[in-house]
Amino acid sequence: MNTTALSTPIVPGITVEELLKAILAMVILTFLGELMKKGIIRASKETDLTWILNEDTAELVFKLFILGGIIGALYALGLMKYNVGPTTIGNLAFAVGFFYISYLIAKKSKDYLIQTKRGPEDKIKAKLFYYTFITLAFFLALSFAGIMGELGALLAAAGITGIVLGFSSRTVVSNFVSGIFMYFDKPLQIGDAVQVGDVQGIVEDIRILSTRIRTWDGTLVRIPNETLFNSNIVNLKRYPVRRVDVQVGIAYAEDAQRAIEVIKKTLDEMPLVLAEPEPRVYVEDLGDSAVILRVWAWAPSEKWFDVRTEIVRRIKEALDREGIEIPFPQRVNWFANELKVKLEGE
Amino acid sequence: MKTFGEHELKTQFIHVGNKKIHIIENSEGVFTYKRDDVVVRILKGRKLSILPAPAEGYGVRFLMIRLRERLTVPPGETVHGYLSAPVDVVSKTGNTTIDRFVVGKEKYALYGEHSIGIIARYHVSPFYESEPDSLGVVKLIIRNPTRDWKLVERVVIPIKNSTMFYSGERAYYPLIILTTKEPYEVNNTGNPPDGRLKATHKAEPMPNFRMRWWP
Repeated sequence: MNTTALSTPIVPGITVEELLKAILAMVILTFLGELMKKGIIRASKETDLTWILNEDTAELVFKLFILGGIIGALYALGLMKYNVGPTTIGNLAFAVGFFYISYLIAKKSKDYLIQTKRGPEDKIKAKLFYYTFITLAFFLALSFAGIMGELGALLAAAGITGIVLGFSSRTVVSNFVSGIFMYFDKPLQIGDAVQVGDVQGIVEDIRILSTRIRTWDGTLVRIPNETLFNSNIVNLKRYPVRRVDVQVGIAYAEDAQRAIEVIKKTLDEMPLVLAEPEPRVYVEDLGDSAVILRVWAWAPSEKWFDVRTEIVRRIKEALDREGIEIPFPQRVNWFANELKVKLEGE
Repeated sequence: MKTFGEHELKTQFIHVGNKKIHIIENSEGVFTYKRDDVVVRILKGRKLSILPAPAEGYGVRFLMIRLRERLTVPPGETVHGYLSAPVDVVSKTGNTTIDRFVVGKEKYALYGEHSIGIIARYHVSPFYESEPDSLGVVKLIIRNPTRDWKLVERVVIPIKNSTMFYSGERAYYPLIILTTKEPYEVNNTGNPPDGRLKATHKAEPMPNFRMRWWP
């Protein structure tokens, strides 16, 4: 092929030579990418450093080469020199490529942190790292794109729009800031059993704008972080022990001290009713229909619900066994006039 | 009657504390293991191991033994004695655990404060001068290196994954040393209290436990 043929344009602005160079750049970098990918996968099977040398990393490196190939091809075609506003297509392409690769690295790092350090706090740290990395990459990409200088003017120009948007996105910003405050305040962690308003359940996830709670009946409730931050949060398992409170009514005719002894013995027989702090049973009130006994028993927080249900069942059984009456509500009626009763058949 | 150790698989009852294991030979080499509601079919087995395990119960890391009568230890003295202790029991075919259960009274308590304490297995024992007639035994050495008399009310022993020792009839925790230098320090030595006992497994030495809330 002679020089003239190579310099013949096939479409306006692109010669055969440029097209060949572009194809060559794509082929070489795809080939190199494939080679690197295979090399990393092979190495991952022979090393303990699988946290870095694995299929995900191989795929990431492959994508990096493909991206390099595309940018190289666009340069070869001479498309990168064209101006778009204050910058060139080349700068824009590089910035987009840089941001995309940064995003992949941030995502992989976040997944790695979550997988290796499984604590709930580590999950939040990983997310915080992810968002910080992405934000930095975004501003660097803007700088590479050559529009950072214009960004100030753009922002100034968009001042009024910003105010309007600010008002409309106030809730979003508020949720975001509340999410950050909650990270430092730590009123709850992933895995905690909590009650927020009417919602009770396990904290499944704490996200940047909202927190997700799996309720006891298996539904997912999303609570905006601002609402959560301003609510009374009851953490049901923060401390190692939690008290079970039960009220028991016995008939006035019964010996209250004997009932207390029966209940204490029942509690002593239950493994998860803690010996220390010691359970307390006492007469709390003289009610309308019954003598009210109060039972205080401490249980490991994670077993609280089981212990409570078991205590109620066992106390009922024990009092029945000992013949101690748990009365129904009673009312004595006095009639002002003598009551005449007519019997059937009279 | 032998409780702990290897048992030949044949139709029989094995008594472990207040629990009863029933082995039934169904056909040649096929056995049924029954304990309360637990049923396991053992195929082509020959031996069953019944071994003691630390009283972890539902998954606690510590055993708190409260002394029935408090002890005072003179300055510079070392006292040797025994405590009765709860134990869990594991049934194994080879190295595989087929059952784990609690024998005797199971009770737990909070060691420490409501907000930062830990849940421990709980037991009350007198301080014996000679080995007690109980299924589980702790040999305890109390050292008082200070210049004052020291009071001992309870011992909190780290037991998670601790090795255990056994004779045919009894289970033993490793030798426990309580040093009454404040804060009191408990050392689960991992060593047998008696050289003639068999170990359930070889275990790494356990870190000393500082009893933040003493005596």
